[in-house]
Amino acid sequence: MILSYQKRILLTAVIMASALILIMAALWLPQVPRDVKIMDTLFVLDITDSMNVQDVEHDGEKVSRLTWAKDFTRRAMLEMPCGAHAGLAIFSEARSLILMNPVEVCSSYHDLRQMLEQFEPHMAWARSSEVSKAAYTAIRQAKEIDPQPTIVMLTDGHESPPIHESLFPKFAGTPGEIRGLLVGVGGDDLLPIPKTNEAGEVEGVWAVNDVMHQDVYASMQADTTINTNSPRTEHLSSQKKAHLETLANRVGFDYVASPTKPAQLVDQIREASQTRELTVDYDLYAWLSGLALILILLVYLPYGWIAKTDD
Amino acid sequence: MTIFGLEWFQPWVLALLPLALLPWFNHNLDKTVAWVNLVPADPLSNVISLALKLLSSLVIMMLLLALAGPNVPEQKVERLGEGAEIVLLLDRSRSMDAPFAVKTQAAAVSVGGDNSKRSVARDYLTEFVKNRPDDRFGFVFFSTKAINLLPLTYDKESILATINANALGKGLSDTNMAEALVSSAGMFEGQTYRGSRIVLLVSDGGQQLSAEAKEQISRLYKEMNLSIYWIYLKSNQEMSLDEGEDDNLLWADIPERKLHKFFQTIGVPYRAFEAGSLEAFAEAMAEIDRQQYQTLIVEETLPHEPKSDLLLWIAMLAMLLLATSHLYTFWGVKKAHE
Repeated sequence: MILSYQKRILLTAVIMASALILIMAALWLPQVPRDVKIMDTLFVLDITDSMNVQDVEHDGEKVSRLTWAKDFTRRAMLEMPCGAHAGLAIFSEARSLILMNPVEVCSSYHDLRQMLEQFEPHMAWARSSEVSKAAYTAIRQAKEIDPQPTIVMLTDGHESPPIHESLFPKFAGTPGEIRGLLVGVGGDDLLPIPKTNEAGEVEGVWAVNDVMHQDVYASMQADTTINTNSPRTEHLSSQKKAHLETLANRVGFDYVASPTKPAQLVDQIREASQTRELTVDYDLYAWLSGLALILILLVYLPYGWIAKTDD
Repeated sequence: MTIFGLEWFQPWVLALLPLALLPWFNHNLDKTVAWVNLVPADPLSNVISLALKLLSSLVIMMLLLALAGPNVPEQKVERLGEGAEIVLLLDRSRSMDAPFAVKTQAAAVSVGGDNSKRSVARDYLTEFVKNRPDDRFGFVFFSTKAINLLPLTYDKESILATINANALGKGLSDTNMAEALVSSAGMFEGQTYRGSRIVLLVSDGGQQLSAEAKEQISRLYKEMNLSIYWIYLKSNQEMSLDEGEDDNLLWADIPERKLHKFFQTIGVPYRAFEAGSLEAFAEAMAEIDRQQYQTLIVEETLPHEPKSDLLLWIAMLAMLLLATSHLYTFWGVKKAHE
């Protein structure tokens, strides 16, 4: 389409005048209120020995599950919208220990990150790893926090001592009352678990005879349907997907195995959470000045290269 | 991303800056004339044409720069305030689950309730932190090991959230006070001296310290210029940290007294508050509050300061001239065709 000279002059004048109005609006239009959905979360990190297994990838390097979990938590907090809250907890032995109640992720990001960096295996107060009970205690304590946070528990699901299917620890709460996600960490292959000593330093690995391969009750039964001759592999660890799935069902959580994108996990957290609406003031300047820029560029684009304008 | 000392939220927009050259290669508004020589040479219109191109480039450039979201990065400034740097050392041992200051045996059995020592400590510390705007707080977590969980921070929200979390759930079976005391000193390592430094210990018991730990603690505390405040939550109303005349023989050797004696001998400012009741606890907190108003260098963070508006102003003024000139051109061309 070729416009006459007169029309081009008219169009240009109109565009320039509109652009002027848009830029003025960008400068002087007041901020508009906008509702954003925010969530309250509590990140629970497994710091038991099995989390020291180096079978996850981060930046092309094999790192320990804990290193990955810490970094993934940090990146997820960065992806959360300002106004959302995040708290931190660790789990060792048979309980979750809340260390910081949920705080606003943007203004307190520095402190959240500082605390997250302190999470090391030597913080563990005992050398066992009872994932289900830890999830239950996290839920129980989350109820005492106002507003109740969504639990995001990063764990490999390794139960030590192991639990028998028919003797699953009883969950006293109502499934789904506290929302949450189990985030599975770790690979699929069974690998040796580094063993930490009292001081938290790694000293070799857990040997086959160092750990229990059956739960206490089953191992004392003569009945072979309970005391089965299962393979003795509890000293090795992988991500226990089936177990995490079962546990998630029991407490009404979602299970996410080895997420790759923090933003995606934040979306999943948002979906699982009972979100709150927060009104924020939103400056439209970027939209207005962007539109003005596009209009001006329309005038100067080299149409001549596409269609010859001559008159 | 920082360029020219400014931080840019959308630095990729800067890659579009060459678009500002478009007006110089543009012939959209040229009028084709039969023979160029027919048009008289007019230096004034040459100048105007150049000026219009410059203005267009300027507008495009300014809009792009504004869209890239420039802002002066967060800045840390120091000012003088009044207060102290305080490391909180909260005992999270099992015994802190027991109710605080009860007289009857029956009431003493309820564990982990709202009146547990841990919840009471939380309530008073929350109050204390809220009343002290200039203080910098740190938090040491200790079970079998001690960790500087929250390094010294001005952020009241995070220290309060940490204090609150401390009151949740059950206590821990093992607590290592010696390590916690050493770890607290570590908070100040490598920090410039800003003003009075305090380690505030809230516990209901003492612990035997090894000779090695004692030596390390007294050395570190002197080196770092620390003061110690100990709020001792008494379980036994009669017992006092200081030896009395009609003392029960059983109290002579208890760890609390040994710790008290040790603190008194290491040559750093030390004060113990024996809180046997809620009033005494409140009084102790108020006393610390009163004492700790010395000059302190406070670091404040000035938030991001967006600079887009300045650029938009330039764009707007240039645009005003440009739009006027184009409207004038349109008016002229319209006149000519009438």
